[in-house]
Amino acid sequence: MSAPQAGTPSYIGRRMPRAEDTRLLTGRGVFVDDIALPGMLHVAFARSPIARGRIRSIDTSAARELPGVHAVLTARDLARFNIDLISFFLVSPSIRIPPLAEDRVLYVGDPVAMIIAQDRYLAEDAAGLVTVDYEEEDPVVTIADARRGSLVHAGSESNVAAASGAEEPDEDLEALLTSAPCLVRHTIRHQRIAQSPMETRGVVVAAHGESELTVYISCQSPQMAARYLSMAFGIPQTGIRVISKDVGGSFGLKVQPWREEIAVVAAGRLLARPLKWIEDRHENLSASNLAREQEIALRIAFDEAGSILGSHVDYDLNNGAYPHGPDSNLAAMMFFWAAHRMPAFGFRARGWYTNTPGLGAYRGPWAIESLARETALDIAARRLGIDPIELRRRNLITKADQPLTTPLGIRLEDITPAECLDLLLQKVDVPAFRAEQAAARAEGRYLGLGITTYIEPTAGSAGISVLSTDVAQLRIEPTGKVSAVLSTHSQGHGTQTTMAQVIAERLGVAFEDVTVYEDDSSRGGFGAGASGSRQAVAGGGASIKAADLLVDKVRRIAAHLLGADPAHVRIQSGRIHVDGAGEKTCSLRELAEIAYGEPERLPAGMEAGLEAQYRYRPPPVTFTSAAHACIVEVDPDTGFVKIRRWVCSEDCGVMINPAVVEGQIAGGVAQAIGTVLLEEAGFDARGNPIAVTYKDYLLPAISDVPDFEYVHASTPSQAEGGFRGVGEGGCIIGPPTLVNAIADALSPFGELAPLELPLTPARILEVIEKRPLSGASPASSPQAGQPSPPSVPHSPPPPVEKPTGTRPTIDGLWKMVLATPMGLQQFTARLAANADLLTGTLQSEMGSQDFTGTIEGNALRWDLKVSKPMPLTLKYDVRIEGDRLTGKVKMGLFGTAKLTGERVPE
Amino acid sequence: MKPAPFDYVAPDTIEDACKHLTEAGGGATVLAGGQTLMPLLALRLSQPFILVDINRIAALKGVSRTDGGTRVGPMTRQNEIIANSTLAAALPLLVTATRHVGHWQTRNRGTIGGSIALGEPAAELPATAIALGARVEARSARGTREIAAADLYIGPYSTALQPDELITAIRFPEWPAGTLPLFREVAQRPGDFALVGLTGAVTVEDGRISRAGIAWFGMGPTPVRASQLEKALLGQRVAGLDVQALAELAIAETAPFDDHHATAEYRRTVGRRIFARTVSEQLQPRNAT
Repeated sequence: MSAPQAGTPSYIGRRMPRAEDTRLLTGRGVFVDDIALPGMLHVAFARSPIARGRIRSIDTSAARELPGVHAVLTARDLARFNIDLISFFLVSPSIRIPPLAEDRVLYVGDPVAMIIAQDRYLAEDAAGLVTVDYEEEDPVVTIADARRGSLVHAGSESNVAAASGAEEPDEDLEALLTSAPCLVRHTIRHQRIAQSPMETRGVVVAAHGESELTVYISCQSPQMAARYLSMAFGIPQTGIRVISKDVGGSFGLKVQPWREEIAVVAAGRLLARPLKWIEDRHENLSASNLAREQEIALRIAFDEAGSILGSHVDYDLNNGAYPHGPDSNLAAMMFFWAAHRMPAFGFRARGWYTNTPGLGAYRGPWAIESLARETALDIAARRLGIDPIELRRRNLITKADQPLTTPLGIRLEDITPAECLDLLLQKVDVPAFRAEQAAARAEGRYLGLGITTYIEPTAGSAGISVLSTDVAQLRIEPTGKVSAVLSTHSQGHGTQTTMAQVIAERLGVAFEDVTVYEDDSSRGGFGAGASGSRQAVAGGGASIKAADLLVDKVRRIAAHLLGADPAHVRIQSGRIHVDGAGEKTCSLRELAEIAYGEPERLPAGMEAGLEAQYRYRPPPVTFTSAAHACIVEVDPDTGFVKIRRWVCSEDCGVMINPAVVEGQIAGGVAQAIGTVLLEEAGFDARGNPIAVTYKDYLLPAISDVPDFEYVHASTPSQAEGGFRGVGEGGCIIGPPTLVNAIADALSPFGELAPLELPLTPARILEVIEKRPLSGASPASSPQAGQPSPPSVPHSPPPPVEKPTGTRPTIDGLWKMVLATPMGLQQFTARLAANADLLTGTLQSEMGSQDFTGTIEGNALRWDLKVSKPMPLTLKYDVRIEGDRLTGKVKMGLFGTAKLTGERVPE
Repeated sequence: MKPAPFDYVAPDTIEDACKHLTEAGGGATVLAGGQTLMPLLALRLSQPFILVDINRIAALKGVSRTDGGTRVGPMTRQNEIIANSTLAAALPLLVTATRHVGHWQTRNRGTIGGSIALGEPAAELPATAIALGARVEARSARGTREIAAADLYIGPYSTALQPDELITAIRFPEWPAGTLPLFREVAQRPGDFALVGLTGAVTVEDGRISRAGIAWFGMGPTPVRASQLEKALLGQRVAGLDVQALAELAIAETAPFDDHHATAEYRRTVGRRIFARTVSEQLQPRNAT
């Protein structure tokens, strides 16, 4: 039952025009700002003009008195909701994240008060009348500030939001690196990026009584938005109807409702009036969560032949004040060398709190790994005198090397970066280019070629509980038409087209007869929507499985009605045929009418109707591979870069719609061009954003983006349908491809090192002329190989009580919660004390495990070995206070997680 | 678009417009093409008490030849300037410079007078008006006066125009046949304000430079006239120009600044080069190697 219906036009693999485009391009899209509800009021926010300070007082009286203003709310007014703003991983972070600032403001743009008025004009007028008395403090703006500055979040131990990897250098690795024949160091400072969707954030809320809401919101998944709102407010998810028909881009920003959206929903409940807030562009560029801002110091050791011997990465990431999830970007480290033969790898990765807008996701959140690796490999190639393509070939894992499991526990079965590179080189004549490059140099013109490879984990379904499964609910309606309710969602992805292609092909009906619905959380089941390049794989797989269930039922009914063998029944273009019996035929509509209206004619015991649902969990991870090439010309007089050619060779498995695939790649590469050449969401020393309009935040325009060329390898994946995700790749592989092309053009002058993005004309001219022209502050760059100064703890660690005669009662059953980056893990442990020796048994979903440890006063320590998600030793360090316990668990590469617990009365 | 409250008038005549400006006592802002003002209103960075919309005043539109030059109405749209055959013949530099103003869509609304009155230091038209020796006619209820474009700009977005004055004409002097335009703009994307911009006109008679008007944009707090360069060029043989030495003189009066797009030193460096490149291409095409 896995083959598509024979004889039906094949839709999978066809460049079908997108079904949604006519509507969108003729102004018939429905975005949040198109929604108007009777009695709706409008929201504006009064925001902090300073990056850091204490709120002495807020005077809202003048704002309240303005005619047309209905309410002015501050954090105090929302306190009754006891809102729990959770991270993307559904974990309550250790810091408090209030929807509106409470006693302190932590970044410029921090919402302090919300004004609800007759219209947005009045609301903005009143926002200007809110007077806040601040006690201003020096802000922590950069990563360097975070290392030495005062605490962003009072009460935390340091400004480290999240950490992973080894805090101390590994002696063996250090010895290997320092004694290697060739050690390449590379440092990068990646600027802050604004996701900058064409449609900003926005929400319209209508509360119905205490426990029901209708919420229109610009998001990445109505299902996920409903889930977060449900958790934030403690209302059953079924009571929350989230509608999000059309969304004008998101790129990670709208992955979950955040402070302003949550505040608007809370106010809508408080006032019992429909409310609307549409973020304006100034708010979007200055106060929305942002992305990237990373510093990385990479070392790679090679032998004389260019084989990699080992590598170390020191990595820091600006988390801002309120990140969507405290993050040290472990994924970047996991995938850094996953596609390469890498004998020894170590890293230290840390995320830092600062007084800037929080870290949000951005297409390929772990993309720094490809940027750092691929740019460093080109530097190494120049140093070693080996062709950069040859250097990659010597180190890439090929099809012949697989299956294998990387040292960090990633199972590789079918990655194809080396094969994509071969395909790429069929399109790009490198020797011809090198000849052209040499001739141009003789004329004083500087051409450069960048070639890169990468692998991208897509549709991950393990480890992150919100990204496990997706659902397809299919119905052949009594009319014979097919409706599909999916947990996919489009912010421009074209899923209403691609999913209909899959369903139409599998069912054997016309594409035009399939309608996909994914805009209303009340229609379908839970699912992740657009996140992690998952929709083709997860949504496509669910659609195939559900369609196959329906086909099976149609065959059995048709066989019963027509007197045929089910194996001989097929559906073709919406009609039922029986092989070898041309007279035995009926339309799908006739069959559906019977299935719904005359169930007595169905096979005995069969459920009426033609409906099927399948919740699909894709393989743990499905890899997409690619190799890109870019050719540029750099003007040595001005430092300007002209992109002359860009070729993309990618393997995203079976393509549902090549036009959509290429659109995804092109969009990502366009963003990459912006990242490398133009965009920077910077801050001055006081934490003021300096690019708050499109006059200063420079996005790539059509004039800056070339026509891309594509080659597709199309190796079927292990997932249902053979699909692989392709949503983020262009944004991941694009930056190093362009940087490498520029660096190749500049190679007669010197290296782009340290690499600071964006590569403004001034930075490029600086390399050509070997003199300061860009004004880049050297203090902001990390030094290669030099470990950063350790963070200074600002509050002492919890004291270890001296052993006394009366230590707390340890013996008994304890319930514990561990806040891991992937989510909360709950378990119980039975502890028993015997002098200074601790014994215990830990009981979780994974089973039960015994351990022994030590007791010192109220401090308990024990180690626990686990095998999933990879072999790890978990080091528990716990303090008992009466019937409660707190502590932390060191989880090897995964960093440290907070542990809380309480005694279970027996 | 959610500006702070303001009053709005749309007079039909220059006299009425001037009356409103006088009555507002400095609280009025003139709305021409709105390509800068509208975003400023939306951001509430501009909060006028009254907006005087001059789009209905027919007398402010159009291009005409006058004794000794060309008169351009301030409400002439930038795309109209690009399409105007009189200007193409008389002031090719103005047409070239206007092509670099914003984008095709913004030039449908944007006006020459609006750009000149705003005084954005990195904009093309104020500097081009200086280079071409334009004079700006300013009218108020108190009377009419002319201001040389070179005297108009006193700081970023700051002009010698009084709050009650309205630009009613931009008068360009005649430039003889044989005048060559010099124009080059370095901007990160087409349509952006310049990192560095050069605009000028040079008249060559019998192989010698008889007249020169040259100015910079994006090279200081105002558009900057290269007056030392202009003097030095007069009488020089085109064939024997020492372009490198002149490039140094060309930037002598500029005062560029650092911002997050480029540094002052970058602007000076590239300014010299685009001067040399442009002069070589335009004035010495046969000498170019």
